[in-house]
Amino acid sequence: MKFRIAKEAFLDGLQQVQHVVSSRTTLPILSNVLIEANEDGLRLTTTDLDVGVSGTAKAEVSKSGATTLPVKRLVNIIRELPSAEIEVSVDGKNVASIKSGPSFFKIIGLPDAEFPPLASFEDAKEYKIPQAIFRNGLKKTSYAISTDETRYVLNGIFTSFNEGKLTLVATDGRRLAMVDHELEFPSSHEVDFIVPTKAVQELQRLLGTEGDLILKLSDNQVCFEIGSSIIVSKLIEGNYPNYRQVIPGESKERLTLSREQLLETTRRVSLLSSEKSNSVKLTFGHNQVDVMANSPDIGEANETLDVKYEGKEFSIAFNPEFLMAPLKNLEEDEIHLDLIDEMSPGVLRTEDAFLYVLMPMRVTS
Amino acid sequence: MSNDIEGGDTNDRNGKKLARDWDLVKAKLSEYISGDAFSRWFKNAELVDSDEQEGVVSVQSDMHQIWIETNYMDELRAAFAEGAGVHCAPKIVVKGEEVQIEPEEESKQAARQARSTGSVRVVTPEAVGKKTAFARKLKRLGINPEFDFESFVVGDNSQFAHAACSAVAYQEGRSFNPLFIHGRAGLGKTHLMSAVAQQLLANDPKAKVVFLTAEHFANEFIEAVRKGNLDAFRKAYRYADAMLIDDIQFLAGKERTQDEFFHTFNALLNSQTQVILTCDCPAPEIQTLDPRLISRFESGLTVELQPPGFETRVAILRRKMEQWKVDLDNSVVVHIANQIKSNVRRLEGALTRVASYSFLSPEKMSIEKVDELLGDLVRDENTNSVTVEQIQKAVADYYGLNLSDMSSRRRPASIAFPRQIAMFLTRKITKLSLVDIGESFGKRDHGTVIHACKKVKSEMGTDSEVRGAVEKLNAALERKN
Repeated sequence: MKFRIAKEAFLDGLQQVQHVVSSRTTLPILSNVLIEANEDGLRLTTTDLDVGVSGTAKAEVSKSGATTLPVKRLVNIIRELPSAEIEVSVDGKNVASIKSGPSFFKIIGLPDAEFPPLASFEDAKEYKIPQAIFRNGLKKTSYAISTDETRYVLNGIFTSFNEGKLTLVATDGRRLAMVDHELEFPSSHEVDFIVPTKAVQELQRLLGTEGDLILKLSDNQVCFEIGSSIIVSKLIEGNYPNYRQVIPGESKERLTLSREQLLETTRRVSLLSSEKSNSVKLTFGHNQVDVMANSPDIGEANETLDVKYEGKEFSIAFNPEFLMAPLKNLEEDEIHLDLIDEMSPGVLRTEDAFLYVLMPMRVTS
Repeated sequence: MSNDIEGGDTNDRNGKKLARDWDLVKAKLSEYISGDAFSRWFKNAELVDSDEQEGVVSVQSDMHQIWIETNYMDELRAAFAEGAGVHCAPKIVVKGEEVQIEPEEESKQAARQARSTGSVRVVTPEAVGKKTAFARKLKRLGINPEFDFESFVVGDNSQFAHAACSAVAYQEGRSFNPLFIHGRAGLGKTHLMSAVAQQLLANDPKAKVVFLTAEHFANEFIEAVRKGNLDAFRKAYRYADAMLIDDIQFLAGKERTQDEFFHTFNALLNSQTQVILTCDCPAPEIQTLDPRLISRFESGLTVELQPPGFETRVAILRRKMEQWKVDLDNSVVVHIANQIKSNVRRLEGALTRVASYSFLSPEKMSIEKVDELLGDLVRDENTNSVTVEQIQKAVADYYGLNLSDMSSRRRPASIAFPRQIAMFLTRKITKLSLVDIGESFGKRDHGTVIHACKKVKSEMGTDSEVRGAVEKLNAALERKN
């Protein structure tokens, strides 16, 4: 195998796939990137057996072939190379020679035959989704994924194709984020499944704002084709709990707030929320909201927002991080906050089909 | 959950009491939790079982379980205490979960998963109709059917451990969780744990009892990582009804496995699943074991099996003779019991030898003959008897010091360092605890002993002279063994 490649192109290609590789792998081959060269250029593939990522890089291939090389080390070397042009040749024993300007590296690789192949998706159900929509949906929900491994069904995003809608849901038991989007697919393709966190992270890295994404689904694996890149992932086995039960029915009070303003205010005020209670208190009065935080040993912060509000006076406390998470990831200027009372969950909505249920914190006073 | 042994009447009364208690709890709960949340999460919940330890509340769905467990446990606990006057830990179960998890299809699936992860030994037994079916089940789980409560000879040395295990087996108290059994090799740890497993299966043939060694757990974990099916692995263990792990000391030094085990362990404890562990030493003395695991192990009940006393040894021998249908003179039995003291397994070995000899040879068994037959066993028996004094003497001789220097308060380096070496060797060779070792070196505390061991170890790494000395002393003392 022999090819010439631009430093930037090689680095970009490798960086696209290197995140899947964990630093502590059980098999040496999993630390490596599979490099396949043919007349079209390079295909680079990595996997940790749960998630696999594959992408392409343009190169001038003079002799096609395949090998695997340690990806982290390779990235470090390529990044430091002095010249913009790189020449790589690999001998029959998987030893790669990398030449760039005056420098020369020799790296020992492993045979490509040892590399576990990504699952194939023949006869799989196929869905076409605009990238922007999927990217947006993941952005608005992924922060709410649970990291508690004992409830592993919650360690991913629930993805549902039902009733002409694509629905994405994430929850950790304290909050729940959900986004709906209308989408065309045959009714025989109605299905739901859980995409694990790691695949979600890779998706967020690779998804752009233009073009379509092809999603292919087999029994226990899912494949996302984004341009020439591919992400293949195992699905989380098990049933996602019925999340609709969490969404409160009728709310009593509705406020419309500027997203930016609420985010900034909460961020400032939360500087003085105590580590122990870690909450900010929102007090609703006539046409205003007081956002407050205090920690007994340090001090307190208070900021008032002007809003249109004529409901009853009451207070509710939230974890500031949980309140800010959706605000950071939304783009809309305005958000609605639907509340019942100080003990019931608050619901944050936008004009779009986005919804965020957030449990209040107990205020002791 | 309700006890089958009780008559119908009691069940009925019990049911009414639960309903009454639950009404009281609910009334209190509705004060703590606002209307919408209360009716959403608790309106259709039921109290299905309750005692001093726990109140089992059944809810409609897994989402109810998740949401209540994450958000309302404090309120629920308070409502139990304030409303019904019961101070218990609430436990949330999903209504009909047993029916959902247990049916044939599911158990087949579990079996398939088990096969794919490399024979995870989870068994969902059907009815215990035939004895042979039960025996097969035990075999599949790797439980020796002879190890039951009946065949265990209880003595002063094992009475507490036995009581704790039977309480767990007969589900008299769930508070013994985890139950940590430790004791030296051949004292009956595995026997007791197997007995619990058998009894649990006899109580409820559908129970998923996981019974395996820590080594097996580690191997399976590695296999699962290699094959990339950790999910199946986790499922297999985290949905067990009881998890019994033998020889937990094998986890020492296996960091990733410890990590996985920690999560499994937590998941099981959180769901109040009975966990029993055995180990050849107390938890804190397992070297290179994650401190958070140690503290978890100690959070339940720790029981120790000690070497049996004379009367117990005789009783064990008699029980075995009865089982094997052999007859030996009382003096011979007493003699064997006197010679073999530290280990029940060895005691049985000795009896096997003497019994088979007496069976094959016409001459009458004499004490001298017994001594001849058991020569090597008796010699082995004394192996663990290198004493602190012998170690101190050997080290003192080696460094040309007085024996009294070993326990004196004097601390010049020429004395202090040999003393540290002696502590290190004592720790290595004898089974004394840190506190005991400190005690025999002039009433020093256990921290000093730990420091000494660390110091010697690090010196051995850098100084070849120290290394040579320690190795020489160690070899000499081992020979004495």
